[in-house]
Amino acid sequence: MSSGCPPQSPAVAKSEVAVEGESPLLAATFAYWDNILGPRVRHIWAPKGDQSMFLSDGEVTFLANHTLNGEILRSAECGAVDVKFFVLAEKGVIIVSLIFDGELKGDKNTCALSIILPQTELAFYLPLHTICVERLKHVIRKGRIWMQKGYNIISVLSLEIVPIMELLASMKTHSVPEDIDIRDTVLNDDDIGDSCHEDFLHKAISSHLQTCGCSIVVGSNSEKVNKIVRTLCLFLTSVERKCSRLCKVDSSFKYDTGLFVQGLLKDSTGSFVLPFRQVLYSPYPTTHIDVDINTVKQMPPCHEHTYNQRRYMRSELSTLWKTDSEEDIPPDTVIHTDETFTPDLNIFQDVTHNDTLVKSFIDEVFMLKPGLSLRSTYLSQFLLLLHRKALTLLKYIEDETQKGQKPFRSLRNLKTDLDLTVEGDLNIIMAFAEKLRAGLHSFVFGKPFYTSMQERDVLMSF
Amino acid sequence: MIGSPDVVAFTKEDEYSQTNPDAWALPEEFSIPLHPLANTNPWAKTSYAKFTKDFILISEFSEQVGPQPLLTIPDDPKVCGTFDLNYFSLRIMSVDYQASFVGHPPGSGYPRLSFVEDSRVVLGDSKEGAFAYVHHLTLYDLEARGFVRPFCMAYVSADERKIMLQFQELSLRFSQASECLKAGNRRAFAKELQRKLRDLEYTHSVLEREEGLQKEAGPQCMYSPHAVEKANELANVEKSIYEHRDLLRQINSYHCHPRRDPHAVTCQKCMTECLSECEKLLDKYAKLANPFSYTVQMGKVEEQERQINVEGGQEGVEDMEDEGIGRRPSYTPQLIKAKSAKCFDKRLKTLRELCDESFYEATVELLKETERSFRGDLCYLYTRRLDKTLRRRQRVTNFLFEEELGVDDEDEGGILRPFCAVNHAADSYTLLDPPAIVLRPEPLELDSLQPPDPLDPASETSHIQSELEQGHLESSPSDHTLETQESSEETKGSFSSDKSGMGPAEKPQSLASVRPEPPDPDCDLTPDPDHNADLERESSSEETTAGEDEGGDQTPVSLLEVVSELEASRDDDCERISDGVCEMESDLLVPLDTACCMSQEGFLYEVSAPEAGSHPGQPSESLVVNQEPQAFLPLQDDYAVGSPCSESPVAGLELPMGLFGDGVSRTSVEDGSDCTMSASTGSERAASPLGYGGLVTLRHRKKAGQGALRFVRQYPFAIQALWCLLSGRTLVVLGSDEGRVRRLVAALALFVPSPGKCGERVQPWLSCPFTLTDLQRWKLIGLQRVASPVGSSMLYSLSRYSRYISILDADQKTLRCPPYRGKLLANIADHRTYIRRGSTYFLNLQSTLCRLAARAFLFTFTHHLHLPVSSTEGPEVVEGRRRCFLQEQLGLDEEDSQILLYLSQLITQQYLQAATGSSAAAPCFSFTYTTSVLYKI
Repeated sequence: MSSGCPPQSPAVAKSEVAVEGESPLLAATFAYWDNILGPRVRHIWAPKGDQSMFLSDGEVTFLANHTLNGEILRSAECGAVDVKFFVLAEKGVIIVSLIFDGELKGDKNTCALSIILPQTELAFYLPLHTICVERLKHVIRKGRIWMQKGYNIISVLSLEIVPIMELLASMKTHSVPEDIDIRDTVLNDDDIGDSCHEDFLHKAISSHLQTCGCSIVVGSNSEKVNKIVRTLCLFLTSVERKCSRLCKVDSSFKYDTGLFVQGLLKDSTGSFVLPFRQVLYSPYPTTHIDVDINTVKQMPPCHEHTYNQRRYMRSELSTLWKTDSEEDIPPDTVIHTDETFTPDLNIFQDVTHNDTLVKSFIDEVFMLKPGLSLRSTYLSQFLLLLHRKALTLLKYIEDETQKGQKPFRSLRNLKTDLDLTVEGDLNIIMAFAEKLRAGLHSFVFGKPFYTSMQERDVLMSF
Repeated sequence: MIGSPDVVAFTKEDEYSQTNPDAWALPEEFSIPLHPLANTNPWAKTSYAKFTKDFILISEFSEQVGPQPLLTIPDDPKVCGTFDLNYFSLRIMSVDYQASFVGHPPGSGYPRLSFVEDSRVVLGDSKEGAFAYVHHLTLYDLEARGFVRPFCMAYVSADERKIMLQFQELSLRFSQASECLKAGNRRAFAKELQRKLRDLEYTHSVLEREEGLQKEAGPQCMYSPHAVEKANELANVEKSIYEHRDLLRQINSYHCHPRRDPHAVTCQKCMTECLSECEKLLDKYAKLANPFSYTVQMGKVEEQERQINVEGGQEGVEDMEDEGIGRRPSYTPQLIKAKSAKCFDKRLKTLRELCDESFYEATVELLKETERSFRGDLCYLYTRRLDKTLRRRQRVTNFLFEEELGVDDEDEGGILRPFCAVNHAADSYTLLDPPAIVLRPEPLELDSLQPPDPLDPASETSHIQSELEQGHLESSPSDHTLETQESSEETKGSFSSDKSGMGPAEKPQSLASVRPEPPDPDCDLTPDPDHNADLERESSSEETTAGEDEGGDQTPVSLLEVVSELEASRDDDCERISDGVCEMESDLLVPLDTACCMSQEGFLYEVSAPEAGSHPGQPSESLVVNQEPQAFLPLQDDYAVGSPCSESPVAGLELPMGLFGDGVSRTSVEDGSDCTMSASTGSERAASPLGYGGLVTLRHRKKAGQGALRFVRQYPFAIQALWCLLSGRTLVVLGSDEGRVRRLVAALALFVPSPGKCGERVQPWLSCPFTLTDLQRWKLIGLQRVASPVGSSMLYSLSRYSRYISILDADQKTLRCPPYRGKLLANIADHRTYIRRGSTYFLNLQSTLCRLAARAFLFTFTHHLHLPVSSTEGPEVVEGRRRCFLQEQLGLDEEDSQILLYLSQLITQQYLQAATGSSAAAPCFSFTYTTSVLYKI
């Protein structure tokens, strides 16, 4: 090398990730703002496969560097993770960047964890954006601790980058279609109880709605599982359907945090092990439906779920903080506990709240002749009713509390005025309202750490 | 005694104690808060933003002063508050990716224009609580460095989720605005080039002349320093001419370069116009193949012209925008000095100057509309879309209690309507890769965008035919079905259906009067100022808290209606389209067994729109200003009572409708008395469109919600009145104060099933006696109490028909009607309700009515209820089965059953009309004789 040439940049480290099926993700990158050299790419993750389909390392580096454009001005609070989303028609790509601060070699640096997709995948990606971002945010929290300790952040980030690649690949092939043909669902049966027991269907749908449309359906028969998955998805919006996944015919996907409905196939022993941590990290509580034994169980309501989730996250981060060695990254399967918090592993409980809304719907819809669009129309009317009731409830609380300025003290009046005296009905409408206005449960039910039992007592006292 | 050290020993660390002396404890900056902000107040998560509501910011990266804000929409300093626009402009402009090469590329003799695609970025400043969708674009400026000026348009909001959830809609809207701005800029740039070329040619000719003079002066002058300088100058001008011609050629070739942005939205007509204009310019200057042959003579001509202009005081006239290319431009070429101004001396053009005026104005308008349409809280915007999507799937019952659904609004089919800011037709649009809008599931029916036949004679005919087939009413006091007599209805029937009485031949003429201008496809694409104004009034819950009960009921529910108002305001335009759609869908329907609305597979088309019969000839709101709507509007369904004995369908037209301004005088054949209808004043008119022919929009209904809530609270017997309306029994509101009666009617109209698009089933103010026919036509009547002979005849008609009607006396606060003992309406008629606001009450009412409509749908379309199971079964058995279903399956008692039976009857009638494309037999005017009770407060 002649002495006149500038020193070459060191090659960027790269991990190739083997992903089953076609990965819509072109690459993921970790870049940081070097105080002398400016933006630098530290690591690239790329799916393994036909390289001609993907961006060259140079292109990836160019794009990743630019995710830090303007971040020299960053004035965010320490620990804040900001999201930037680029659609670059010139380059034909979408970039999602999470900007955060972290300590590298003793200096405070601005860093960016990015994923790059082709622009053609915009419509596919957008519904999944929140899922990806929330998962990446949490791994960044872990990564920042690792950086603070002087360890290599890449190993921590890989813990989530790889599953996200797998998630996107699986959604490419198995996501629930936006338009579900009612003939592929239980609602097309000639009579109630043809496919599954009447009470099971009622419980499944009711609990599914009570847990904000978030459910996992497990079973040994993929057809049966998928039929229930599609049935439950009928009650979701199109965006939520795009965040739902059918089960594979031959083997099972892993459970993925954040999806609304997912079908999971039991193994040959007839079991499916749910990862406690991932289920707890779901943005909403989940309903567990086993189509083999017709059981329906549900997690505690939103406010309690969020509280448990937060405590567990803090516990997990705390455990990481106390780790002595870089090699000791606690695997996801470890249940984190600390002195003040021991998670209740029995998170799925029986569905105890009866409702009239779903019950009457189920009873009535089967009176209409199948094969026509009558049942679809009736379903639309039912959903419209639920959405309107949720909006009414939201508005009622908004009026009563002057947009949250005052505590809400008139739950009993609300139930009477809005015809939600049956507890299951209230839960369903509250779940719909929670999706519209996050934090509503905690606000209405006061203490966010109430257990369901305590809440029940509170409700009964009215 | 326990001292404090002892207490400490007993304390336990829990969620209340945040302090932890443990060195191993996780610092807060690496942890997450146990309680998210949303948990303490779900409405407060955006409260730390320094601006009060969302706005659009246009910024530029100026080559002189760096990033700077140029314009905000709305242009009100209060909106931005103390938010630092300069800082934010710096932040959003520093993420631009469009750093492509501009200027002289290596190896190229001429500067190259760079055609850069727009980029879209969502970013935020978590500290400031500000998030933005940023749309970057570049405009061309001959004076700018590299000929480009980078700009961005940003939608700034405190809610990050709102931006991401609506990313595609925002992207599409801003793409439209950007394309409009860029199209205008290319025009302006081409014209600027034209002017520059003329200047250069003129300069060239002057320099050539001077060079010629020097040659004539002798060889010694030819090599003087001055001559050399002139020669160099000439060479530079020649080079410059070549360069500018090349730039003109490049801008002309813009349309040929392949677009790399699959989400760009371009108007083909704009493109074509701009292209042809550039081509003309290019042709013009290509003809000057040798610009240096710009002869002395030509120069002289120019010179002379210039002199004339100067003398005539027209110096500097350069309004090229107003000149056609074909015309000789009045621009006066200027001599270009050899040394141009220094970079920082020159004044850069403003954004307005960079763009063709009309395009600039259109862009700003487009952005204003965008700002309005995205205004408000996300949850209400989101629910509005869901609501609309779901209603679109149940058109069979929408007519009962819902507003009209349009087909041309943006929600339809998941993509925004193609919109050309300068009013080019929809079909000229090209969306390179139509993005699937996240929140909108249904694909756009291409057919719905096809301009349908403006008037469908077939449907008109059927409509008129149906009116001719109205049942005969007879006022017999029997307990059973009655048919009205043919008597006495000519006048009333005609005044209410003069238009429906028209023959097909009259319809177009009538429509022509409705629309003074011929149908213009462009107007469909123009933002409706009324709509925008409505949107402005509607929008968010943020703006809705205060003063609602005082009449300014600005509630979030209004967001549900924004699109309805859009439809309403554009009704004239969408009407034809919707007719077309309905017609198409009707074709897909198979013949029915009229016994029960259902017979075979496929009887109900998935998204059928059975309102087909209800559309024709609906005049626009603006036309019917001074007259009662019943005089002009066809009834939504075929309740219109034309005189059966009338030979000519146009007989009703002979009445002098519309000639008397506010009031319409008519002669009642029955009682021979004159009566005046609807002499009213402004305040009541503004409150509700009822009675004025305006479309009843969700906004109006929501406002009426306040009145309804007041009614429910004020009158303990409100539930009886509501039951009367919902079960089809006509309610007469009697009072001497027109304002009070109208307000009551407007409030109660919410409960009238199938009120019609313009409230045709409601007569808000009647000053004359009514007849039996009116009771079938109107389900809610406001009746004037007068102490004149007319008043006595009115009272006579009231007493005469009292067994068919319920009478609410607004003056004495009494109600005479049959008793209601059901439970179905308890929820919406509880005078002890704690619902505070009319808008909230209206939402609750909507839910209840939605449930009622669903049950009526279920009852109507449940097979076995309506058909005999075996041939031995008589109608009584079937009837018994129906009753049994209502009572045992749905748990309804007698009075509640009547509601469902009535709604079901309406659905059946509406559905059969739509399905068969012709008029079904009008339902008989029936009642069950029940003793009325007088209720008092």
